[in-house]
Amino acid sequence: MSVTDAEQTTRRSAVPAGAPAIITDLYDAFAQRNMSLVQVTWEQQRLHESRRWSVVDMLSAVDLDALTPIDRNLVWNAGRAELTTKPGADRLERQSRSEVDRWRDKNPVVANIMEACGTWSRYWNEEEAHHETVFLRLAEVTGMETVADETFIDFRQVFPDDDMLRTLVLLAFSEITAAVNYGACQHVIQDPGLRRIFKQVAADEIQHRNYFVAFAKALVDSGEYHAKDAFAVGHLFLREDGELGGSAREKVEERGTHVNWWDHLETGEGDFRPDALEKKEQLICGALKKITGIEVNSKEEVEDTWMDLVGS
Amino acid sequence: MACTIPPMTTPGVDSYIRQKFAEHAGLSEEQLFADDVTLAAVISRSPKMTNSIDLMEAFAKTANALRKDYGVRVRLPALPLDTPTSTVLKTFLEEFERQKEATG
Repeated sequence: MSVTDAEQTTRRSAVPAGAPAIITDLYDAFAQRNMSLVQVTWEQQRLHESRRWSVVDMLSAVDLDALTPIDRNLVWNAGRAELTTKPGADRLERQSRSEVDRWRDKNPVVANIMEACGTWSRYWNEEEAHHETVFLRLAEVTGMETVADETFIDFRQVFPDDDMLRTLVLLAFSEITAAVNYGACQHVIQDPGLRRIFKQVAADEIQHRNYFVAFAKALVDSGEYHAKDAFAVGHLFLREDGELGGSAREKVEERGTHVNWWDHLETGEGDFRPDALEKKEQLICGALKKITGIEVNSKEEVEDTWMDLVGS
Repeated sequence: MACTIPPMTTPGVDSYIRQKFAEHAGLSEEQLFADDVTLAAVISRSPKMTNSIDLMEAFAKTANALRKDYGVRVRLPALPLDTPTSTVLKTFLEEFERQKEATG
């Protein structure tokens, strides 16, 4: 074997053998293991690439004439809902930038966490573009009411800024709500092509939930953000007549500044509403435990814990 | 506008709630209750509040203070943002009396 042959057989690869995964202990990754932003971004990139899929290919597999009125209503609602994700991602990018500036001198690890979050927002935005276009295209070609340009623009209104931990937790819970809704939709959809789309989108939303939980946990781990704010959002969603009730609530707020998709679900002629409230409650409690380390198992425990953390 | 205080209210609780809520909202009692403003207006006027989560927290702190000083736990329902402060106060007092009676 020549020297050149030996070099070729031991050629190093830039790509590690292990499967890509979300860094779930981001605070430790920066503070203890000294990971750099380049390394964290690399992990984000390879996970993003590993999960890519084609809207065109997925749509090609749907039998348009086999879709039921319920299927078409689910698609129509999903398309409108997904329209609001882009302003959410744009807000996340902008808010992360301002948090980086806020923490850069005071706590560089938090600045890194926020930069990693802002950087990841580009992948989130790109992945959500798939969701929006796949559902809106399907709704259009199956004769559902077109989303008027005015509605399109209304649904793009950028969300107002809030405390960063609250923002991340709210986004995690929104992803949980979306994933559970899409999961429930799969049970009533007959067409395999459409079912596959809902399954893929639900899987994406769970991955996004995992990212938001990781960023939120990193902020709590830093000691600069208080667990009470994570529980406040939990209570906001789970309380009686809370956000989890969506458009089924007795009173849906006129938000004025932006559109929350869950306020606008319409059951249509099929009268199917993918609630699964217990599943959402369970997943929200699980997310709160991952973010704060505090175990809760019901909406009552979420409220009690939040009240204790708030103090007087 | 003066609030209608429910009958059989424990003496002092009404002013205690007004005072605590004003403290946690960062506003004077007059700013909160004189014009019977809505909760949306409270958020907008308060230097401590950004959105309804802060409002929820101000209610929670008021409820915790009540529990500490009067031994009664009050749980407020989700109130729409167009609710006037007089209704909030009335709801607080009713819940207080109900819980006080229930826990004996």
